Amino acid sequence: MMRNTLLAAGIATVAIATAGPARADVDNFTEVARGRYLVTTGDCMGCHIGPDGTSLAGGHLLETPFGMIAVPNITPDNETGIGKWSQQDFHGAMTRGVRPDGTHLYPAFPYTAFTRMTRKDIDDVYAYLRTLEPVNHAVDRDTLPFPFNVRMAMLGWNWLNFTPGEFRPDPNKSGEFNRGAYLVEGPGHCGLCHTPRNMLGGDQGGKHLEGGALQGWFAPNITADKRVGIGAWSQAEIVDYLRDGHTERGAASGPMAEVVTYSTSQMTEADLKAMATYLLERGAAAEPAPTVIAGSDARVQKGAAIYDDTCAACHVGDGSGVAGMFPRLRDNQLVRQADPTGVLRVILQGAQSASSPRMVTAPSMPALGWRLDDQQVADVATFIRNSWGNAAAAVTPDQVRAMREVTAGVASPAEH
Amino acid sequence: MPLTTRRQLLSATALVATTSSALGRSVTGRLPWSPNEAYPPELVRPGGWMFLRPEEVATLEAIVSRLIPADDLSPSGQDAGCTVFIDRQLAGPWGTYEWYYMQGPFAEKPLPTQGIQSPLVPQQQYRTGLAALAAYCRENFAARTFEQLSAAEQDKLLAAMEKGEVQLPGLSAPKLTTTAFFNLVLQNTMEGFFADPIYGGNKDMASWKMIGFPGVRYDYRDVLANPGKPYTKPPVAIMGRPDWNGRPA
Repeated sequence: MMRNTLLAAGIATVAIATAGPARADVDNFTEVARGRYLVTTGDCMGCHIGPDGTSLAGGHLLETPFGMIAVPNITPDNETGIGKWSQQDFHGAMTRGVRPDGTHLYPAFPYTAFTRMTRKDIDDVYAYLRTLEPVNHAVDRDTLPFPFNVRMAMLGWNWLNFTPGEFRPDPNKSGEFNRGAYLVEGPGHCGLCHTPRNMLGGDQGGKHLEGGALQGWFAPNITADKRVGIGAWSQAEIVDYLRDGHTERGAASGPMAEVVTYSTSQMTEADLKAMATYLLERGAAAEPAPTVIAGSDARVQKGAAIYDDTCAACHVGDGSGVAGMFPRLRDNQLVRQADPTGVLRVILQGAQSASSPRMVTAPSMPALGWRLDDQQVADVATFIRNSWGNAAAAVTPDQVRAMREVTAGVASPAEH
Repeated sequence: MPLTTRRQLLSATALVATTSSALGRSVTGRLPWSPNEAYPPELVRPGGWMFLRPEEVATLEAIVSRLIPADDLSPSGQDAGCTVFIDRQLAGPWGTYEWYYMQGPFAEKPLPTQGIQSPLVPQQQYRTGLAALAAYCRENFAARTFEQLSAAEQDKLLAAMEKGEVQLPGLSAPKLTTTAFFNLVLQNTMEGFFADPIYGGNKDMASWKMIGFPGVRYDYRDVLANPGKPYTKPPVAIMGRPDWNGRPA
């Protein structure tokens, strides 16, 4: 009897110890510090940001082609967060996309990339998350419509689209290359946006990092292709872009601006160099170059007139832009992506560039959707995409109309 | 001593700046921005009259076409849309001096430096002034209306109104003198002639072409690099220009 009571008390104590929010101990400072850096590298805040704007309490609705997914609370709150998760539970979620109760997570959570992380790194992320203030914030996790709400279906999805397994360094490559590969393919999960999706939302086979559409933006090709990728960029330019959000070529905007602000601008120079090295050395891949649309084309001529009256004041008549301020459109990889989503979005809605510690003000482009109708936006985009060394498919008014709906922009200007 | 004064002025300014927080805010770091942000002026709806009555329109069209007659330099005030401009302005917030303090007291003999001292808002000034002009014409031109007068007669009458040599019946200081009414119409006609076409006047940017005004362009580095060469670009209005917006400006 006495023994049983003691045992029960002992169990209760254990329960309290594991269930209570764990704090950083003096003896795991190194792990916590590494974990914090990895949380920055993985830009966890980008999705898990809480309604308070500072915690990882989740609640943000992530837009996917299958419906809205509410991002969970990953603070160590027992009731609404991951306070009850063990280190092993956390490892299972990160590497296999499975929750402690065995149910499946959706790959909007990039376990498809985190599976490449080392056990040590994942444990350190766990150690860091345990030090956070628990936030009691319940998130409704069942927001997807049928049939996508059937989490068991992810078993089949994983079989088709998921290759688990830790990153294997290439012994024939430099340490810097392998470090970069680990960051890009693992914690950085660049492919989640920059790789095109197949119909199931999985990576399109053989198109790794060739650019993908998401949330009404287009994450461009980041292979070493010189025409639409970053093959023409120097390592220093890529580092500048990731650290500051700005280079002489242009500026990060949209989701990438957030990535720069919350993640890459906080990373070490050595890691940014490693990522640049990997991206430049891993190879080029892109669709074949389209033929340039001639300047005599009526759409291009109208576009040129619109450009001269509307865009040239900042981007300059010859498309050279102003370094550090107004993106250069001449010989610009972004504007000649096969998918014109990014260009159309920026013209219609305007855009703010990234704010980073070294470049804080984040200059922005004004919205022009109120001034230009669908045909005019299409024409000026076609002109920009086929001038000064650029060549890309013409843009149609239908594409502009679709983008207007996505951006919930002001309606096309009323007929005068 | 001048230094002290300057410092006193600066500290006084700082005091004002810190105490009146409602007037401004300081921005550090990231500049404020929101997607789709735009404050476009309202497009003038074509056709119809929003404030003016048909007989007022007829008289006003005749006046603006004498103030700006059609010649080899430009179309007439009427053809440039000056009356449309005035009508839409009268129908808008300016027509009622929406943002002015319009309660009394009003000075009986205001100095020019006292600004607006008439209790009449522009809508009332136009309605009163045009009615007085109609009455004057009935009495003095054998029941002909202003627009039925010959161009020479119209010019003579307008010149007399400007100089105060004619007093339209019922118009008097401090509410509205004949000269003040004339000056109001002249001022608004010029505004309609030179303002952006989006406001209803300056059709086809005619006045800008006449004087070589480039419109809403604001960067001339390309041009400044060619000193001595003529500026050849066509003017651009807020909503564009006919070469690409598919409509007369």
